[in-house]
Amino acid sequence: MVDAARQPRIDVRTYTEVDKVEGFVGNFKVTLREKAKHVLADRCNGCGDCAKVCPIEVPNYFEINLAPRKAAYVPMSQSVPLIYNIDLDACIHCYKCVEACGPLEAIDFSQEDQLVRENIGAIVVATGFGHFDPSVMAEYGYGRFPNVITSMEMERLNNSAGPTSGNLIRPSDRKNPLKLAFINCVGSRDKRYIPSCSNFCCMYSIKNAVLLKQMNPAMDITIYYMDIRTPSKGYEEFYDRAREMGIHFIHGRPSLITEDETTHNLFIHSEDISLGRVIENEYDMIMLNQAAIPQPDQNHMSSVLNVAQSPGGWYMEYHPKLRPMDSPTDGIFFAGACQGPKDIPSSVAQGSAAAARASRILHSTRWEIEPTIAVVWPERCSAETRGRACGLCVKACPYGAVVIEGDKAAEIITAKCHGCGGCVAECPEDAITQLHYTDAQILAQMRALLADKPEEKILAFRCHWCSYGGADLAGTSHFEYTANERGIKVMCSARMDSDFIYEAYRLGAGGVLYSGCHPQDCHYITGQLIGAKRADRLKKIFDRMGMTDGRFRVEWISAAEGDKYARVLNEMQTVLDNMPPEALKEEIEKLQPDMEKRLKRFPGVPGVPEAMAYGDTLVRAIKEQKEPA
Amino acid sequence: MSHLPTTITFASEVKAIPGGEHLELCYSCGTCVSKCLIQQKVDPAYNPRRLLRMVMMDLKTDAYLDPTTWLCSECDLCYEACPQEIHISQVITAVKHLAVEAGFTSPLIAVSVDEDLCSGCGICAMVCPYEAPSLFEKEVNGEVDRLSQVDQNKCMGCGTCVGACPLSAIGREGVTNTEIEAQIPTPESKPPTLITFICDWSLRAEDDLKILESYPPDQVNIVHIPCTGRIDPQHALMALDSGVRGVLVCGCKPGECHYKRGNYAATCKMGLLDSLLGQMNLPEKQIQFVQIGTQDRGRIRHEVDGMLSALFDIKEAV
Repeated sequence: MVDAARQPRIDVRTYTEVDKVEGFVGNFKVTLREKAKHVLADRCNGCGDCAKVCPIEVPNYFEINLAPRKAAYVPMSQSVPLIYNIDLDACIHCYKCVEACGPLEAIDFSQEDQLVRENIGAIVVATGFGHFDPSVMAEYGYGRFPNVITSMEMERLNNSAGPTSGNLIRPSDRKNPLKLAFINCVGSRDKRYIPSCSNFCCMYSIKNAVLLKQMNPAMDITIYYMDIRTPSKGYEEFYDRAREMGIHFIHGRPSLITEDETTHNLFIHSEDISLGRVIENEYDMIMLNQAAIPQPDQNHMSSVLNVAQSPGGWYMEYHPKLRPMDSPTDGIFFAGACQGPKDIPSSVAQGSAAAARASRILHSTRWEIEPTIAVVWPERCSAETRGRACGLCVKACPYGAVVIEGDKAAEIITAKCHGCGGCVAECPEDAITQLHYTDAQILAQMRALLADKPEEKILAFRCHWCSYGGADLAGTSHFEYTANERGIKVMCSARMDSDFIYEAYRLGAGGVLYSGCHPQDCHYITGQLIGAKRADRLKKIFDRMGMTDGRFRVEWISAAEGDKYARVLNEMQTVLDNMPPEALKEEIEKLQPDMEKRLKRFPGVPGVPEAMAYGDTLVRAIKEQKEPA
Repeated sequence: MSHLPTTITFASEVKAIPGGEHLELCYSCGTCVSKCLIQQKVDPAYNPRRLLRMVMMDLKTDAYLDPTTWLCSECDLCYEACPQEIHISQVITAVKHLAVEAGFTSPLIAVSVDEDLCSGCGICAMVCPYEAPSLFEKEVNGEVDRLSQVDQNKCMGCGTCVGACPLSAIGREGVTNTEIEAQIPTPESKPPTLITFICDWSLRAEDDLKILESYPPDQVNIVHIPCTGRIDPQHALMALDSGVRGVLVCGCKPGECHYKRGNYAATCKMGLLDSLLGQMNLPEKQIQFVQIGTQDRGRIRHEVDGMLSALFDIKEAV
């Protein structure tokens, strides 16, 4: 930290909050709130004379309230930069500190919060995690029994820079405990509180046990666990070492802690699963390894930074396997536990990766994106035609790239657009198009594929990342499937416009497959959800129209599911085979007027009439070739 | 014989019964086993975690013969504590239901009805937390009579019905009125200062029972009852009549009754008894009802000491 502060090109701002983040990758405009310390940074030399004379003591948050601090304070003695801070909530304005500061005149009670606007190229979020409060679990008696403490309190009591200089004492009588128990999974892996695993508690409870055992080999230490999870390099060996040192491990989640009211010793009731027997053991002190939870202000920061949250409240990464340090917003990166609970090696690895990703942006003058971006025709937007933008495009965008300001037409921030095409398909006015995947281009493909005997064809819409890969795999694996399949690739199932499906049936297609990634696997975060919602709607419409079940299929197929792709198409072919040709033809003709009605506005899209005319010539040419005049 | 694999597993049978659905979420943490007092107080083989495992592993007969199937009294303390939110008692009830269907019977000794005494009033059916007693019609001496009968597989033996029956027509070995009355001292046998009626489940730690037993017998006498629901106000008055100076009834905290709502029945009865004492011009503090929670280790000592000193004060005042 000191190194970082001394490095001339690193600017450390402490006691500062991020108020607002605007702009996009390479061009963020960040508003910082530099909170008033009431001490002038350029004059304070960190001597601490103000703290010495300050008469006010309040609990020290850094020491988990186990020690006091003054109203004039630094959070911890190693603080960087070493600048004191006057806590006005506690201060009684006796001005003894001003006197003690003397000629330095570093204390300024008139100081106020300052808003600073900075141009920022890339942002790395490393806000860490919070702690589950075990006092809500009445069965463990935290907060009621003095000798039940949390792991963070243990960290301070066990730390040579902590309030007891590393001398572990128990709160009730300040004696050194000899018989200790650690309880793992307090609040975590518990559907009533935090359903997920906190990742690092097994290791730190073993670490604390080993440290204490090294300090005093006579200490009797027991770890209560449900499962010991030691999945990284060297971890299992460390666990073995702890067992060899004589630390006891009891497989069983305690159900109750009771206290002897005179000695303040504690009794743990648990099952020893290996024995299959309920046991009750007495301890001097108990440490609860509480669950890691997102920071209390994580929801607020998520809206400030415009990054989504995963279930559980952690920041959501771009891709869980391939881009775990990127946020869905370009130019914002994650380091450490703010993205999910992780231990020190993983946090360091992710931090270094995030720094490297950020420097890639800072060192380039150009930012390359996929060319398949969305573009608005402002004159077609409902803001222009009806005076008010409908905002469906804003809702559809997983990246916050679509902006509507006042009564102006929707606008797309190109640098933020990833090209899923969700907004294009959702726009009821057809006012947005996607480069390289325009309505006209896709229509032209459909016309060509359905030119000859459309009622025999199955038109398969596939997304670029999953189901197209699945189709590819079916081919390279030589899985046999119907030769009547005709594929059209779009970037995401979100782009599969209902107009395309109606048009396919209007042109007389026998079947249509609507396929994309599995939910949660979508390359565009929530693109699949937008596509799935639309597909459900279409399915209901076609059912109501009386379309034979199986002619419209919605399937989520991953790139590894070539067999599924082949199976689904073969099933669709069977549906068509089971229909007498006249019945199929009759059904297609019966539904055609309905489809046409639903496509009323489609020919108004720029480029579509030309594509249609081209399609007509194509169909004519094919027919002429077949039946030479 | 065909050897086709059966598609209906035991687990799917149990899951089909409402309450059994979440059984497969169990990751065997053992919280339910230690939260429950049955293993410690009744049968070391009792283990809900293992019963759930038997269901998952298709060990049907083992599950039907397991004491867990029959001893669970549905107090639901484990449901509150389960980190996977499995309604364990409902799973066990589902297994029990299947076991009864398969012809297995409960090993517990159920209460029985003395048909000569029963008047068919139906109070037992109303107070039972398990719907074990029910009324049926029987021809006696040419007349149709209403009588109570007990489903042996449903009765958990709490004795609430025994305490409620106005004619002492229902009973079980160990908790009949005559057996409890035999434990209450007579004026001739030098009555102690205090007599305590202790619910078998309320004192969680063995130490607590030891505390109680450490008082000299001329000060404190102990009468064990299966549940405070079993308490009969008459017994308290009988004790006072025989020269005992105080009666302490000790049960579980609200919501922690081993027999669902026996302590609620006790609360009602003791409240009535309190107002009765007032009408008889007896000091209210002579009879007290305390409810001890699972975490109240050592509280019994305070309660007994407090009661003894209160009785001393009453004596001084007289």
